[in-house]
Amino acid sequence: MKTLLLASLLVLGLAGCATPPETRSSLVDRPELKVDPDIIYAADVTELFQARVEQPGGGSLLQVQFAVEARSDADMAWKVTWFDASGMVVKGVGEGYRTATLLTGQTRYFTATAPHERVASFQLHLREPR
Amino acid sequence: MLIRAVAISISLAVLAGCAAPTRYIDPAADDGPVAMTMDYRDFEKAATAAVEDMLASGAVNNPDGGRSIMVVSRITNDTMQRIDTDQLTKKIRVSLLRSGKVVTTTAVGLNRAEDEMTQKARELRESDEFDQSGVQKKGTLQAPDLSLSGKILQRNHKVGKEQQVEYYVQLSLTDLASGLAIWEGETPIIKRGSDKTVTW
Repeated sequence: MKTLLLASLLVLGLAGCATPPETRSSLVDRPELKVDPDIIYAADVTELFQARVEQPGGGSLLQVQFAVEARSDADMAWKVTWFDASGMVVKGVGEGYRTATLLTGQTRYFTATAPHERVASFQLHLREPR
Repeated sequence: MLIRAVAISISLAVLAGCAAPTRYIDPAADDGPVAMTMDYRDFEKAATAAVEDMLASGAVNNPDGGRSIMVVSRITNDTMQRIDTDQLTKKIRVSLLRSGKVVTTTAVGLNRAEDEMTQKARELRESDEFDQSGVQKKGTLQAPDLSLSGKILQRNHKVGKEQQVEYYVQLSLTDLASGLAIWEGETPIIKRGSDKTVTW
């Protein structure tokens, strides 16, 4: 009986020492800027800024601004995906890419505002629409 | 007779084979052709521009803390198409709600409440059949602070051999305490295409 009790306590003790399940991935190596090779031939991303816009009554929202300089006339599609401090996606208004037309030599500036104050990081993806 | 039936069957089979297969479109990855009429991508564009600008401006922040209460007023469809303006306002409402800054009341509306159950549920105060402790008390409804109104305009032009269709999505956010429009936005959506396309 005593042996059984000791064995049970030992098993419980070992279970308590077990590592808790991992909830954070160590695989995250997410670049803030992702530009597809197709669009690199036609345009350069010359600036990429981020700032937190203070809100009346406290809090702040992440805002992103980027500039694209065109080497030739081109169509471009872009999208910002927002992430919270844990790396989870925060849903924006729409899911689709925003399109823009660039004229040779033109520098265009685009901004995007995070949909929630808990947004901590982002990923900007530029691609050529098919 | 038999030959005719076989010929018709073969023709139908060939025609069916030529038809484009029905398929799902993923809104997150849609590079499909653009319609001259307003499609879901246009509403998404207008809603994104409006919400991002509203949030960045701070217009929707409640100065007393907590969430602002918004009511959707009249959004006029001044286009040649039959548009349900909820396609636009719902996206805006959902995004503002998700932002944690704005909640929309469905208990007030221009013609009638969007959800008439709010009033109906209060009529249970008269009924002996209901446990009155669960019936909504008087003075619990929240009045709106902000009103969202707007208009969608359409203008058609002939440009050379093509047709240019211009849509303007105009929105105003009014502070109901002062009657002042504290935020306004306009998103132009310009399309140029075949003159043979009908945009209504």
